[in-house]
Amino acid sequence: MGIISVERADHLFWIGRYTERVFTTLVTFFDFYDQMIDVDLEAYKDFCEKVAIPDIYRDREDFNRRYLFDRTDPNSVCSNLERAYDNGIVIRDEISSYTLAYLQLALDHLEAAAGSAAPHYDLQQVIDYIHAFWGCADDRVDDEEARNIMKCGKYLERLDLYLRLGYPFRLIEKEYSKFVNRLGRVRLPYDPVCKAKLDEIFAMGPWWTERRGEALSALWNFFLR
Amino acid sequence: MLLDLVDHKESINRLLARYGVKFGIYKNHEFHEQLFPFDPIPRVIPRREFDYLDRGLSQRVTALNCFLEDIYSDKKIVKDGVIPADFIYSSKGYLPQCEGIRPPKHICSHISGIDLVQGKDGNWYVLEDNLRIPSGASYPMIARDLTRQAAPEAFARNHVEDNRGYAAMLRETMEYVSTGGIHVVLTPGRYNAAFFEHSYLAERSGSVLCMPQDLVAEGGKLYYRQYEGRKLQVGAVYRRISDEYLDPLTFLPESLIGVPGIMEVYAAGNVAILNAPGNGVADDKGIYYFVPHMIKYYLGEEPILRNAPTYLAFYEKDRTFILEHLSRLVVKDVSEAGGYGVVFGSNLSREELGALAEAVRREPRRFIAQEVVDFVDLDIVEGEARVPRKADLRAFVLAGETTRVWPSGLTRFSRNPDSFVVNSSQGGGFKDTWVLSR
Repeated sequence: MGIISVERADHLFWIGRYTERVFTTLVTFFDFYDQMIDVDLEAYKDFCEKVAIPDIYRDREDFNRRYLFDRTDPNSVCSNLERAYDNGIVIRDEISSYTLAYLQLALDHLEAAAGSAAPHYDLQQVIDYIHAFWGCADDRVDDEEARNIMKCGKYLERLDLYLRLGYPFRLIEKEYSKFVNRLGRVRLPYDPVCKAKLDEIFAMGPWWTERRGEALSALWNFFLR
Repeated sequence: MLLDLVDHKESINRLLARYGVKFGIYKNHEFHEQLFPFDPIPRVIPRREFDYLDRGLSQRVTALNCFLEDIYSDKKIVKDGVIPADFIYSSKGYLPQCEGIRPPKHICSHISGIDLVQGKDGNWYVLEDNLRIPSGASYPMIARDLTRQAAPEAFARNHVEDNRGYAAMLRETMEYVSTGGIHVVLTPGRYNAAFFEHSYLAERSGSVLCMPQDLVAEGGKLYYRQYEGRKLQVGAVYRRISDEYLDPLTFLPESLIGVPGIMEVYAAGNVAILNAPGNGVADDKGIYYFVPHMIKYYLGEEPILRNAPTYLAFYEKDRTFILEHLSRLVVKDVSEAGGYGVVFGSNLSREELGALAEAVRREPRRFIAQEVVDFVDLDIVEGEARVPRKADLRAFVLAGETTRVWPSGLTRFSRNPDSFVVNSSQGGGFKDTWVLSR
């Protein structure tokens, strides 16, 4: 067992969440962007509604720009990546400089992409760095419990986004199983009622969507603060 | 021989950016992080010269440690009239709360950063002793790692002492003074100017990087609080928080970045604090004048290293000299640090000189004046050219079971051709420092 304070556990958990938020929203952004080219110019409105962020965007171009690169927009990819980095930098000794460097690279690349003629091409590199971040974390974060806390954050965030974005049940089921697996290896205090509720909802199979609100609420309240 | 390094300047700086080698700076109350510009041409110190520095620095830090122990106990040096009492008790760094506290193994300055310059006459001069929380060792450490990758031939062809043992030296120092338990690097947080260093040294030395709220003083011991409720005893705290903020129960009550009760645990001898609180009394710019006297007094030896010629406005004779030669001296406000409060008389207008003279007359204890040491320039790479710039050396001396000088150091340079000020907070860059092993 490692040496992990409340503060540190929090940073480990949230670096997992924010890194995953950047990853999944970027991947999903590309799908919506594709639609916005010639199918539905206002598809971003649906995206905002699904991920529960305010639609503050004037139009498609404004969304493309601000949702990705605007530091003053707390929901932007850029802001989320900065938060991931802020959580990482204070646990450098735990996750290693090598692992942290991939978030720094992702940030630098995102910043450079903002000025690029084809920013969306460049964003692929940001996704690649996040993959590298997790690969490096698996190798370099020596303490198993610390790694599992990061993964708890990652899978909780992924589940939350998958539920909101309506991902297929087979993917949700898979991610929930990963989450529960990690949960059993950490000592984070959680609410067993929320856990039982999620078990019950996902046991419904593809009909889980009938209780989407309940599932999201159980996820939101899962860990005891 | 250094061509490989020069060719890789951009790549090395890119790698430094990748690893977040930055320092923070507050401008208009806003925190900004900047990359610390690295110049690939190292400062090279031949073995014999380093041996000389090694002896001089060890001697100096040993005497300073004797002084600190003495000042917070018997005060023999004051009683014997070597240092005027006024210089102790009016120093902002003197903390009456530390009176009578005996730090573990009687060491006060575990990590000392001594700033030196090499004069054009070849002599080394000590400019400043930093005994509170000197920063900077992490930069040449990580730069060495990266430059060895970028230009292996430069290292294969030269015999350079490996400086990456600093983390092990730090760990050994902490272990030596530890009262039993884990070792932590205590940082005030993410928005401290030297946060990179805190996190990097914790990583490399195998210590736990912790925030004040991670620690709790209970029952005369200091503990690290685990998230599931267990507590681990802490034996050594390498704190990177200034004395006045370290413990709100002892120092500034409004401090939100301290650990309440840590001083009580320390006073009971149940935790080591590196460096010891109260060290500021010894790195006061006024006390600097007396360090050669301390060496003679405590060690019975002649000082090996020179101070820059210094005048104390406190002494009437010196004050008269300072006022008569103000335009050629560098005047330092003893209460300032980081390159602030340093004024070159030659840069001042007649009115400004008059105002400075008035300030010296009004508050003589606040100022020292030094002859401007014409120190050697070191080449840096600027564009395609090599240009000379003023550079100093911060040498790191670690006092544990023995007092050891790290065979490297932080060489800082001014990027401005007309400036002697090398501090990173004022736009300076840094170089690696090579100590040749033969």
